[in-house]
Amino acid sequence: MNVKILNRKENELKIEIENEGHTFCNVVQKALLKDKKVDLAGYSIPHPLTANPVIYLRTKNKSKPETVLRKAVAKVQKDTKSFRAAFDNALKVYKDQATL
Amino acid sequence: MKMEILERDENSLRLRIGGTNAAFMNALRRIILSEVPSMAVDDVVIIENSSTIQDEFLAHRIGLMPLKTDLDTYNLPENCICKSEFGCNLCRASLILDVEAEDHTITVYSGEFKSENPATIPVSGKIPIVKLAPEQKVRLEAYARLGKGEDHARWQPVSMCAYKFRPIVKVDSKHCDLCGACVEICPKNVLLKAGNKVEIKNSDNCTLCQDCMDICKKTPKAVEVVWDENSFIFSLESTGALSPERILSEALNILDGKLKDFLEQFAGKENEK
Repeated sequence: MNVKILNRKENELKIEIENEGHTFCNVVQKALLKDKKVDLAGYSIPHPLTANPVIYLRTKNKSKPETVLRKAVAKVQKDTKSFRAAFDNALKVYKDQATL
Repeated sequence: MKMEILERDENSLRLRIGGTNAAFMNALRRIILSEVPSMAVDDVVIIENSSTIQDEFLAHRIGLMPLKTDLDTYNLPENCICKSEFGCNLCRASLILDVEAEDHTITVYSGEFKSENPATIPVSGKIPIVKLAPEQKVRLEAYARLGKGEDHARWQPVSMCAYKFRPIVKVDSKHCDLCGACVEICPKNVLLKAGNKVEIKNSDNCTLCQDCMDICKKTPKAVEVVWDENSFIFSLESTGALSPERILSEALNILDGKLKDFLEQFAGKENEK
């Protein structure tokens, strides 16, 4: 992964991510859209043969887009953490039931 | 996030997950299919092949044979310390096949492979590789390495990985005239006629086809199929290369790695201005 900043304004941000795809971008985009400070968030893959998607973000009320993006990614990180915890717990419950 | 294991055995896993979203489930699914590494034969040196099958066909069949994968020992060739084109003990395992049909036709199975690492063997010894007529011979050396499903399907650790919204099937017994049409049409036998009532069993098996709703003549419909967009039934079937739990935990590691990598890179670029 290599991140390039294409355009940066007060409440707009456009970044290109090399060697990524829908896997990463979609989950980040959906996390961004849940934030009330976000006016518009989307991504596009300019060419299907190159794996370099562009994420575009526009925020409301002069919120700093960098902060909003960082928060969204941190939210997904939290999701993976709680998924892992829930999975470990489910596995434990299942094993306990199996031994009964 | 809530999670419950619905089914689990050596090679498959079915989970009910609540309190998440489709984007997250899809990221996991995509990573499992294309980025969780597993072991497969990538290079075959054919020393002798007098069978009726051509060398490249034979090599292709061997490549598609799933191998038990030891992710803790082996490195992906691109990340290996050896930096060698031919690989080293940490990124490559060799398997040898040396068979000859003596006086009658034989079928050569995957169990005939002799591996230099006893942990890297085909997941089943019963995969047919080639048939040999009397006096035909196959001698070859196959090199297995870790790879990713995005490069070729032979490195996919799963034969199936999918999710669906959690189905919610409701029957309104006040409107129902017990015609039984919905019970008959349901392909997954989710609905069951019991006495003077239509009951629901194993609603998680419902495929959301809504045939039961279409066939119900009542207005409003006596049977209703809806789904919860924040709950999922996630199923995964391993080829045997890795345990299903390991596949899921590797996928989480990879997603975590991506997010962490992004934050680091972004922080670096942000300060440049």
